[in-house]
Amino acid sequence: MSATSARPSPAAQPSGSAFILKKALISALVALVLFSLMIGVRTEAGPQGGLIYWTRFGDLAALVATVFGGSIVVELLRQWWGPVDKDSIVPKPVQSAISFAGRWLAPALLVFTFLVPVIFYNQRYILDLSILVLTYVMLGWGLNVVVGLAGLLDLGYVAFYAVGAYSYALLATNFGLSFWVCLPLAGILAAFWGVLLGFPVLRLRGDYLAIVTLAFGEIIRLVIINWQSLTGGPNGVSGIPRPTMFGIPLTPGDDGLAAKLGIEFSPTHRLVFLFYVILAMALLTNWVTIRLRRLPIGRAWEALREDEVACRALGINTTTTKLTAFATGAMFGGLAGAFFATRQGFISPESFTFQESALVLAIVVLGGMGSQLGVALAALAMIGGFELFRGLDQYRMLVFGIAMVLLMIWRPRGLIGHRAPTVFLERNQAISSDLVKEGHG
Amino acid sequence: MTTPLLAVRGVHAAYGKIEALKGVDIAINRGEIVALIGANGAGKSTLMMTIFGRPRARAGTIEFDGHDITGVPTHEIARLRIAQSPEGRRIFPRMSVAENLQMGADATECSEAEREAGLERVFALFPRLKERVVQRGGTLSGGEQQMLAIGRALMSRPRLLMLDEPSLGLAPLIARQIFDAIRTLNRQDGLTVLIVEQNANHALKLAHRGYVMVNGLITLAGTGAELLQRPEIRAAYLEGGRRG
Repeated sequence: MSATSARPSPAAQPSGSAFILKKALISALVALVLFSLMIGVRTEAGPQGGLIYWTRFGDLAALVATVFGGSIVVELLRQWWGPVDKDSIVPKPVQSAISFAGRWLAPALLVFTFLVPVIFYNQRYILDLSILVLTYVMLGWGLNVVVGLAGLLDLGYVAFYAVGAYSYALLATNFGLSFWVCLPLAGILAAFWGVLLGFPVLRLRGDYLAIVTLAFGEIIRLVIINWQSLTGGPNGVSGIPRPTMFGIPLTPGDDGLAAKLGIEFSPTHRLVFLFYVILAMALLTNWVTIRLRRLPIGRAWEALREDEVACRALGINTTTTKLTAFATGAMFGGLAGAFFATRQGFISPESFTFQESALVLAIVVLGGMGSQLGVALAALAMIGGFELFRGLDQYRMLVFGIAMVLLMIWRPRGLIGHRAPTVFLERNQAISSDLVKEGHG
Repeated sequence: MTTPLLAVRGVHAAYGKIEALKGVDIAINRGEIVALIGANGAGKSTLMMTIFGRPRARAGTIEFDGHDITGVPTHEIARLRIAQSPEGRRIFPRMSVAENLQMGADATECSEAEREAGLERVFALFPRLKERVVQRGGTLSGGEQQMLAIGRALMSRPRLLMLDEPSLGLAPLIARQIFDAIRTLNRQDGLTVLIVEQNANHALKLAHRGYVMVNGLITLAGTGAELLQRPEIRAAYLEGGRRG
């Protein structure tokens, strides 16, 4: 990128552009000093063993120019996205366009999601990927209850995912119960384990809580690996039955859905069905969470995140509040787990490693703790984006690391840090809480 | 003689091995403002917390309205409509002013009409809060946060309001507003108030009666005016305070 093309837009204020240029120049100078020896001079052992060197001033110049241009871009982005504590250099039309897009993003996204199987009917890969993304959206929304609302840092969320998956897998393969019977059972069992985890950690907060939940996640996984007679150990459970549409299987046979409807069988039918099942489950999670937030229990969760001492002073039973948060989050994790098992048809402990917990937590944190839309967007970006950059091979981890760091610099509260209040009084006011800076004193 | 609303008799409390209360007796009658003054670390806040069951009293009894509440869980004590505005305000910073107030109402089952009446009372007392009802709690100034903390406590329609250092860190003018509001609450609504303060001058002028606490013991008791006249009080809490 050349330095001249990256100059601030004409809308920028003079002081703003001067400031940006100064900052970029300083960055370029630092880069010049740093790289002049590292890049500008290349040394190597010569054929006779002596040291030979040659200069690479062209590369050096390119690098310094990149730093200069990049620093301008970074500063511009910071002023666009950063906190609104100074006059924004973004022109008014752009601002209103952004706010318009923000208002319609969620409904548009929902409509689009409903249409995905129609639009991409012939693209199995995209359907598969959408189902995966929706699974993580649901997991993110479930963990959001625990981490985002109640403020209890849970690093072992995958444990409930595993409990749900194994509950369904074992109940279905051993007792022949159907998916729709097992789904609530898986949710209940996971919620039960959530309460079980909740009890020992009632008195813990922050780092200590994180360590215990991390251990809990590992314990569940190790139990699954070692309890061979029940879980099949590392071999996992296979032959997990596929879900039926209210008793009608989605198979090519005579009693299958396609035959009953009199249409030609296609394996895509099952994918579309699975897609709508997980979409319904995710939306249920979202709906329940939104409803709960408006009830005293949801408010108590949020208050608990803010200040535990104040909660006690207000007569909130912190024990039941924490346990219900754990149980609710775990239940959604368990439901998602049961879906995962029926989709895969095969599960093994390898699917429930710490990496999954970390991924779901990253989705919640990146999305903005407590924000439903943010979590959905983050799941789309993390899971979808990860697939998108498959071509980058080993660099995609690097790209994601950089993207996460940048996001946390510019949006320290996540993609959508705004928290919608749940209590409204009759009189509406013009000032939004987002327009006011936090004050102390 | 009628029974006091709150009676604390011979209460001991400790954090681990450190004994913070060494046999405290206080009584608060209905419709009274009682001030509890004393130096840092005298055990004033501990007494307030012990009435709330955290830490629990190791010995002695606490009676509220004739019922022994010594062993009652903290969240149930709040349901008896004892409200507390804790030290350092402790409002919920990311929740809006309206939500903060609602949290106070959530603790006790109250009807919609009672909630409305409570909100109106709080807004009449602190009009500033009404102006800022959609703002996040953390965006309020210190004085407004204190108003919010008191307002939140009032939303549970308390029979006894306990305030821990309501003037802490506030400008004198704002502190005066807070004290005026407490006086109004007491005179107009007949609210019983226990106020813990380091600002002895303000607190004793406001209170009907006062207790002085030193090292976990009540050393002096009397009406506010009496205590203000005592030379040892003047020396320890008033002149010294003014110099600082």
